Amino acid sequence: MAASTSQHALISIKPAAPAASFSCGKRAGNARFVSATGCCPGSRKFGLVCAANSQSSVIEPVHLPSSPESGSTPKKSGESALILIRHGESLWNEKNLFTGCVDVPLTPKGVNEAIEAGKRICNIPVDVIYTSSLIRAQMTAMLAMMQHRRKKVPIIVHSESERAHQWSQVYSEETKKQSIPVVTAWQLNERMYGELQGLNKQETADRFGKDQVHEWRRSYDIPPPNGESLEMCAERAVSYFKDQIVPQLVAGKHVMIAAHGNSLRSIIMHLDKLTSQEVISLELSTGIPMLYIFKEGKFIRRGSPAGPSEAGVYAYTKKLAQYRQKLDGM
Amino acid sequence: MTAAAATAHHAIVSTRSTRLWNAKNSRFDKNVCLVSVGSCCPGNRKLGLLCASGSQSSVTEPVQQPSNGKGDHSPKKSKESSLILIRHGESMWNEKNLFTGCVDVPLTPKGVQEAIEAGSRIRNLPIDVIYTSSMVRAQMTAMLAMMQHRRKKVPIIMHNESEQAHSWSKIYSEDTKKLSIPVITAWQLNERMYGELQGLNKQETADQFGKEQVHEWRRSYGIPPPNGESLEMCAERAVSYFNDQVVPQLTSGKHVMVAAHANSLRSIIMHLDRLTSQEVISLELSTGIPMLYIFKEGKFVRRGSPVGPSEASVYAYTKAF
Repeated sequence: MAASTSQHALISIKPAAPAASFSCGKRAGNARFVSATGCCPGSRKFGLVCAANSQSSVIEPVHLPSSPESGSTPKKSGESALILIRHGESLWNEKNLFTGCVDVPLTPKGVNEAIEAGKRICNIPVDVIYTSSLIRAQMTAMLAMMQHRRKKVPIIVHSESERAHQWSQVYSEETKKQSIPVVTAWQLNERMYGELQGLNKQETADRFGKDQVHEWRRSYDIPPPNGESLEMCAERAVSYFKDQIVPQLVAGKHVMIAAHGNSLRSIIMHLDKLTSQEVISLELSTGIPMLYIFKEGKFIRRGSPAGPSEAGVYAYTKKLAQYRQKLDGM
Repeated sequence: MTAAAATAHHAIVSTRSTRLWNAKNSRFDKNVCLVSVGSCCPGNRKLGLLCASGSQSSVTEPVQQPSNGKGDHSPKKSKESSLILIRHGESMWNEKNLFTGCVDVPLTPKGVQEAIEAGSRIRNLPIDVIYTSSMVRAQMTAMLAMMQHRRKKVPIIMHNESEQAHSWSKIYSEDTKKLSIPVITAWQLNERMYGELQGLNKQETADQFGKEQVHEWRRSYGIPPPNGESLEMCAERAVSYFNDQVVPQLTSGKHVMVAAHANSLRSIIMHLDRLTSQEVISLELSTGIPMLYIFKEGKFVRRGSPVGPSEASVYAYTKAF
């Protein structure tokens, strides 16, 4: 099994081959499945090595763990996928304002990024989705899932009050099986930027001084006034991840998290055991989801966090490849 | 004011946003296509559009925007506010023909497109505050619609579910606040709650309850499905909310948009147009085609009729716009 920092990969998925049977629905571009025996020459992600003999045949069905409502059975192989998606451009990104926990929506570009992200993960199983309480992450999740080939319906779970819970009940078992619960959590919100929220760069420099602002942005544990440091953000995001999300993975569920720059890098810091220095310089691209495989209690990165100009690709495991083949057969 | 009567079909031209939704590729493209006031809109896909006669300002004239909720509250001199009602488009369960009610399912790509279309129809109308339900399909509809808006203010969802949510969402720049449109989410604007029908398809419900019974629930005013709401119950909480929260905004001169659902909106329209329970049952609201009312001197004047899915709705603009 490849180490987390190696560039080994099983397969690269390349876009835009005509007449492929692997397109993600009517709307998406085609995806070409590069077989194990062919190579992945000069792909945009460097250093990929094609797998030797790990592909099973197309007809073997993938065992998908059932959704939480209908009982959970751990998969035999004990392997689950964890997808992390950072939302794209918001209306305040566009205006260069500090956003934090102000609930601003996506721009059309951000919508496109969500759709693109969805195309990249349209073949990866998703049993449950976690997102923040901010609309830009929720819209990203919904737009991404519109591209998913399994065609299950994401449904936001409401438990903010007894009535909200009652009113959102689903009365058909069949329908529940075709649903993916979406759990919203403030703990996955963007880092709260306190008194910088809504200010542009000039205003902040004027109000607080350039060096001070630089320190807030680049330090690990110094919060802006009435705001969170990255450390504080990480504390509540990683706690939530461990309490709520890891048990799902342990039970064999495939999980997608749609969230924000800082809450996601906090989680990655935890998964990859980064230092505070390393996490500060970690840039997560938007529109390019990250894939981890959770197996035997460990997280293995299958697609590196990449800068905006690089492409992310996924190293499929045998199980994921089988899932994809099952989708092809549907 | 001699503007056209509520049921007239005078229209202004449609203008296109600078980022067109490309339905084929399901993405926003950067085209610009502006249809000016002077030319007509010949035989386009929206039937029956007539170009405006005299009531329109030119394309270049900026729309007058009263300040938003956070600014001053002086009523406009003409004391006229607009009320826009938008019904969200196709959801994933609509597509599968399942009873949805208050289950929080998202839009389909078609529903996304309908929201964008709706937005392009209202892009010249002033909006100071937005109300939506607690369901993501209505919230997405509002956000997607506002992406087309020419005034380019930023809709921002208000969070009051806890003290932390409230303090975490604070904005610390007055300029930024002025360019924001508060978005208030309210369960009272949710779709009618369909109780034990939620998640069932038509066949399942007919099997389980009998065809006539289901027909009665869908078509009656006062009879709720098991553990669900009747239209009357839905109307009670939607109209109460409208009277308590939305009308005061209109009275103070704010322009309001409500993005919600078929039953919560028809409840409000029943109230605005003083419909009978018989009339409201047969009221069909099209998706993607917003309805405009003008609130003036305590009265609501309809400026664009609720129409069936195959008809076009157009707006009778008043002089103020």
